[in-house]
Amino acid sequence: MLLQVKNLQCGYGALEVVHGVSLHVCTGEIVGLLGANGAGKSSLLKAMVGLLTPWHGRIWINSRLSGWAPAWRSVSNSVVLVPEGRQIFSDMTVRENLIMGGYHNPDRKSDIDIILDRFPKLRERIGQVAGTLSGGEQQMLALGRALMARPKLLLLDEPSMGLAPLMVEEVFAEILKLRDAGVTILLVEQNATATLQIADRAYVMETGRIILEGEAADLLQNPEVKRAYLGKSYKEVWE
Amino acid sequence: MRVFDRRYEMMPRPQMEQLQLERLQALLVRLKRNVRRYREQIGDKQVESLEEITSLPFTTLDDMAESFPYGMFSLPLREVIRLHSTLGPKGTPLIIGHSQNDLTHWGRLVARQFVASGVTPNDVIQICLGGGSYRGGAGYVLGAELIEASVIAEEPFHIDYQLAMLQNYRPTMLITTPTDAKQLARTIAERRLDPQSLHLRTLLLSRPVNEESRGHLEAGLMVKVQSSFGIEEVLNPGLCVECESGNFHVNEDQFLVETANRELVITTLCREAMPLLRYRTGVACTLNRAKCPCGRTGILLTPGERMDGRLLVRETPLYQEQIHDVLSRSPMAGQPFSIEIQEQRIIVEVEISSQLFSDMIWGMEKMRSEIESSFLFRLGVNAEVRFSAPGKGENPLN
Repeated sequence: MLLQVKNLQCGYGALEVVHGVSLHVCTGEIVGLLGANGAGKSSLLKAMVGLLTPWHGRIWINSRLSGWAPAWRSVSNSVVLVPEGRQIFSDMTVRENLIMGGYHNPDRKSDIDIILDRFPKLRERIGQVAGTLSGGEQQMLALGRALMARPKLLLLDEPSMGLAPLMVEEVFAEILKLRDAGVTILLVEQNATATLQIADRAYVMETGRIILEGEAADLLQNPEVKRAYLGKSYKEVWE
Repeated sequence: MRVFDRRYEMMPRPQMEQLQLERLQALLVRLKRNVRRYREQIGDKQVESLEEITSLPFTTLDDMAESFPYGMFSLPLREVIRLHSTLGPKGTPLIIGHSQNDLTHWGRLVARQFVASGVTPNDVIQICLGGGSYRGGAGYVLGAELIEASVIAEEPFHIDYQLAMLQNYRPTMLITTPTDAKQLARTIAERRLDPQSLHLRTLLLSRPVNEESRGHLEAGLMVKVQSSFGIEEVLNPGLCVECESGNFHVNEDQFLVETANRELVITTLCREAMPLLRYRTGVACTLNRAKCPCGRTGILLTPGERMDGRLLVRETPLYQEQIHDVLSRSPMAGQPFSIEIQEQRIIVEVEISSQLFSDMIWGMEKMRSEIESSFLFRLGVNAEVRFSAPGKGENPLN
């Protein structure tokens, strides 16, 4: 198991938003983490990379207990987060963004070429200020910046958010290519159908807890997934 | 050696424990949300490790009977697409529901057994479990279809027809009950037929038998004999895989098993329609984590006897209370009786009082025949009723 989480609890101030979540990701998998707004998905990701201090629980990365390490340590452990809303450095150029992503990577300059081969559109925009890119291009840049750190595990937080349907398809196709290139991916998404179509397994979160785990193809057929999104309880649906 | 689902059947122990913990935690959330009985029993309890499951309440056959028909369902009825009935405590009925995904999982679990038994798409499987065992047959059909083996879905009603089917349809695997398999072996021996003229390679029994019976069947039919082991209320077949080495491996990705005073206790980790938490099966067993040469990592289960008084007559489950119920609706109501279970029938010896006794033979015969018909009609078992003089025994229920 590349990532193993047991009984993780975290929150903000006095408010607990993740209530004892356990999950794992094996090498070479795409694992989806689905749920409605406010289910606790992004908080869980932040706790995994050290942006949020867990209150309770344990995280192992590559079978080593991470010990609630700070975020920079997580990048050294080859676990990289592509945050929600891209969070690129908008005032910097595409090249500068990529170099920032490879801050820990001594070969960052040569790696830029590999990234630009993967995302040819970024090559066309290499000197352009990142804030002027389209939404889809910014997402590609965010992915490219994360890849500059040579991650083994990539945590993607809502990569389809705010993108046109065609761009969403393109981003998901890139995610599949990344898996083929040997990168393991934990994909947090609200777009359940698209995620389940590319993922091997998935977890469904509801109000800070995981309510379902299973093969992605099985979850596509599972009406509980719909209920988790609609936030309707069984009784409401039943009656 | 072929394995259907290598990822789960050979999963390393630490990963399996992590998967089970995740599935158990998710199951508790769903149970608390969807099943009132569990919501009241579990309350705010959470588990942080598999060992903590002992802090959770048991589910018993009585709980299921009290929730009859749909009280244990975790999904709305419209999402429960298959309903099977089974025998509850003292012979009352129980409903077992399956969702679409439950059936998909069931097929995969049975396919694991088929692949362990060497079945390939080139095989022809005859499923012959008797009229009352459709639910088990349904599982076998799902599994066989998944590995694209051909299924003979016809149930021969007579041993001659069964033999003709084996000769004409040339099935390579026969799935049947131990009772029917023994009868088949006996018939082949009596008629001096050559079992090798049939194309059978594997006999899959619907329940485990002892080594002696297995040896007789292997010699009588010239086949490899394997068995299924399951629990009707949970899943049967599909709970375990009997591997090439003759060990029952529990499908631990789907079932969390433990023992309580030798009794097998099962938690269904993936069932959607009717999940069960710590279900007390009423079956004795031993569990051990010995390494198996087949490479499967599922815990080894050795099934034992039933601990809840459930009898088996010609593969039909039966409780003494049901026998009492049949007698209580006859002129023999309240009379002491004793029972003897035989392979094909049950012998019920009823003490007859002087008030009921008649020296007219046809009258006594008529009474006996009516009671025997009631057993067949109401319980589906052949019974032989014998009358005996008073004072010989006691009513086993008193």
